[in-house]
Amino acid sequence: MNKFNLFTIFTILFLLFVVPGLLASFIKMIPANDQPGYGSKGSVSIYGQRDFTQYFVSKNKNLVAIGTTIKNPNLKNKKDIIFNLYDDSDNLIRTTTLNGFNIGDGDFVKIVFENVVDSENKKYYFILSSPSAGDEETIGVFLTEPTDEILEFIYDDETHLGGAPIVTYHKPDSRLEVIKVVYSNLFSKLLFLDFQRIK
Amino acid sequence: MNMRKLLLIAVALRLLVSGLLFHPDIKTIAFQTSFLKKGIVNIYPYLINNKVSLPLKEEFVYFPLSYLTLGSYQTFVSSFLGNDFSNWLSDAGANSVVNNPNIIKYLIFLKFPLLVCDISIAFLLLNFFKNRKKGEQAFTLWLFNPFTIILIYAFSNIDIYAVLLTVIAFLYIKREKLITASVFLGLAISFKLYPLLFVPFIYLEAKNIKDKILTVLIPISIFIASVIPFWSEAFVKSALVSGLSVRIFSPNFEIGFGESMIIGIFLLSILFCFAWMYEKNIKLLNYFIVLLLVLFSFSHFHISWLLWIAPFLVIVVIKKPITLWPVLLWSMLAISIPLFYTDRSMTISLFRIYTTWYDLLPTPFIVIQKLYDPYNFQSIIHSVMAGMSVLLSFNLLKDEQI
Repeated sequence: MNKFNLFTIFTILFLLFVVPGLLASFIKMIPANDQPGYGSKGSVSIYGQRDFTQYFVSKNKNLVAIGTTIKNPNLKNKKDIIFNLYDDSDNLIRTTTLNGFNIGDGDFVKIVFENVVDSENKKYYFILSSPSAGDEETIGVFLTEPTDEILEFIYDDETHLGGAPIVTYHKPDSRLEVIKVVYSNLFSKLLFLDFQRIK
Repeated sequence: MNMRKLLLIAVALRLLVSGLLFHPDIKTIAFQTSFLKKGIVNIYPYLINNKVSLPLKEEFVYFPLSYLTLGSYQTFVSSFLGNDFSNWLSDAGANSVVNNPNIIKYLIFLKFPLLVCDISIAFLLLNFFKNRKKGEQAFTLWLFNPFTIILIYAFSNIDIYAVLLTVIAFLYIKREKLITASVFLGLAISFKLYPLLFVPFIYLEAKNIKDKILTVLIPISIFIASVIPFWSEAFVKSALVSGLSVRIFSPNFEIGFGESMIIGIFLLSILFCFAWMYEKNIKLLNYFIVLLLVLFSFSHFHISWLLWIAPFLVIVVIKKPITLWPVLLWSMLAISIPLFYTDRSMTISLFRIYTTWYDLLPTPFIVIQKLYDPYNFQSIIHSVMAGMSVLLSFNLLKDEQI
C-alpha cells in the first residue's frame, strides 16, 4: 500500500475519530435540554416598566447561561436589555446587560454569566427588562407550556403557568468529561447498529 | 496489496463516512423523493401546493430523473427500513433527527447508491488506460484520496449520477463513438445541467454534418424528453432556474447603459472560439477540464460541484505525474473555500451525530472573523485557486490530448 493510500486512510480515520474529540474539547457549556417548542401561547412584549419574570429549575450544577428566542420586531430595540437572576430566597445572584442592537428578530440568545456552582435541582427566577425602551422599541419572548424545568412566569403582575422556552446551560467539570460523553454517545449509536444486526 | 483488498478497505472507509457524517440535504432529498412510492410523480407542484402541511418546506431543486432514480431506490429500501424510517424522514426536529438511534443505518442505506456510482467510476478509470499499471494507479487514486470520499459521502453528493454518466460519455468519446457518448451526455444533463457545457466541444469534434447535428440534437432531446412531462411553473422555479443553476453565470461587471459582461460566458466563449478557430483536432478532455476550471475560478461554487472535475483530474495526474502536487494543492484550495462559508452544515454540523453540543461551537467563518475579514480570506484563497487554474489550463491547452 503506497504512502498516499495510507495518508488517505489516516486522514479519514482522524476526521471521524479524533476531530470530534478535539472539537468537544472546545465546548465550554452544555445544554441541559433541547429548547421546547413555542406552542400556541403566543408571546409577550417587554419594554419600559413591562418586564418579564420566569421561574425555573436548574437540573444540573454549574448553571452558566440561559438561552431563549427573543423577538426584536424590525430590529427597533437598540436599548439595554437587563437580565437579573435571583435565587429562591429573592437574592440577586447574577446580572447581565445585553443590547438590542445585537439581537436580530427571532434570534436564539444565550445570556451568559459566571457559573452558579451548586445550582443542581434548585429553583431560580430571572427578570428580563428593557427599562429605557419605549412602546415602539419592544422586545418579546415566546411562551410555552410548563415543563419540569419551566415552572411559571409573571407578566403585568399576573402569574401564569409555563413561560419562555428556555434552555439552561451548565459548565462541565472538565474537558475530558465532555469528550467522554461525545464518544460514549457515538459508541452507543454504533452498538445500537450492532445490536440490531445480531437480533 | 491486491486490488480486492484495496477495494474492501475503500468500501469500509466509505461506509464509515456515510454513517457518521450527516449533511441535512440527504434527509431533505430523501423526504422529497419518498413521495414517489406514494404515487406522486410530479413532485414540483406537489411540494409547493402542500407547503403548509408538510413538515419540511424546501422545494425539490433537482431534475426529474434524480427524483425518479432516488424515489425508486427508496421504494425498494424502505421496506427493509420500516415505518420508523418514514417517521424519521418526516421529522423536522433538528435534534431529534440526529439523536435517532437508527440514524447510522439510515444514512448508510441512503448513501448506498452513491457508493455504487463511486465504485463504478473507479472501475471505469481502471479501464480507461491501455497500460494496465496506469489503470490500476487511477483506480487506486480515485479510491484513496480524501477529497472524493468527503465530497461524496460527507455532503451526500447526488451529482455523482451526472459525473458517472459524463465519465462513461468520455470513454465513448475516447473510442470515437460520439453518438453513443451524446446519449450518455444527454442522460447526464437530465440529472444535472453542467454537462450541457461540453456539447459545443463535442460538436466541434464531430467529423461530418450529420454527426455534428446529432451530437447536439441527441443530448438536448434526451434532456427535453426527461423534463417535458414535469414542465410547470413550479418546475421552472424550483429546478431549472434554482440558485445553483444560475449562480454559475452570476459574476459580472457593468459595461454601462444597463449592460453587463458575464465573466463565465465571456471566458467559455473564448475557450470555444479558440478550439473552433485554432485547433485541428480538439483535445476534448483537456477542454472539459479547462472549462470546469474556468467555472470554479469565476463563480461562488457549491462544494458538491467539485466532484464534476474529480475523475478528470485523476486522469490528468496519472497521465502527467508532474501535475500531482499542483492538482493536489488546487484541490485543497478548492475544497477549503466552501468550508469558510457561513453555512454551519459545511463544517461543524457534519458531526451532529456525535453530539448536538457542537451547535455551541463557532464555524470557521466566525473563528476567522475574530482575526480577519472572512470574505477577504475566502477571496484570497479563491484568487490563488483561480491563478492556479489559469496556469493548469494553459498547460492543458498547449499539451497533447490527455
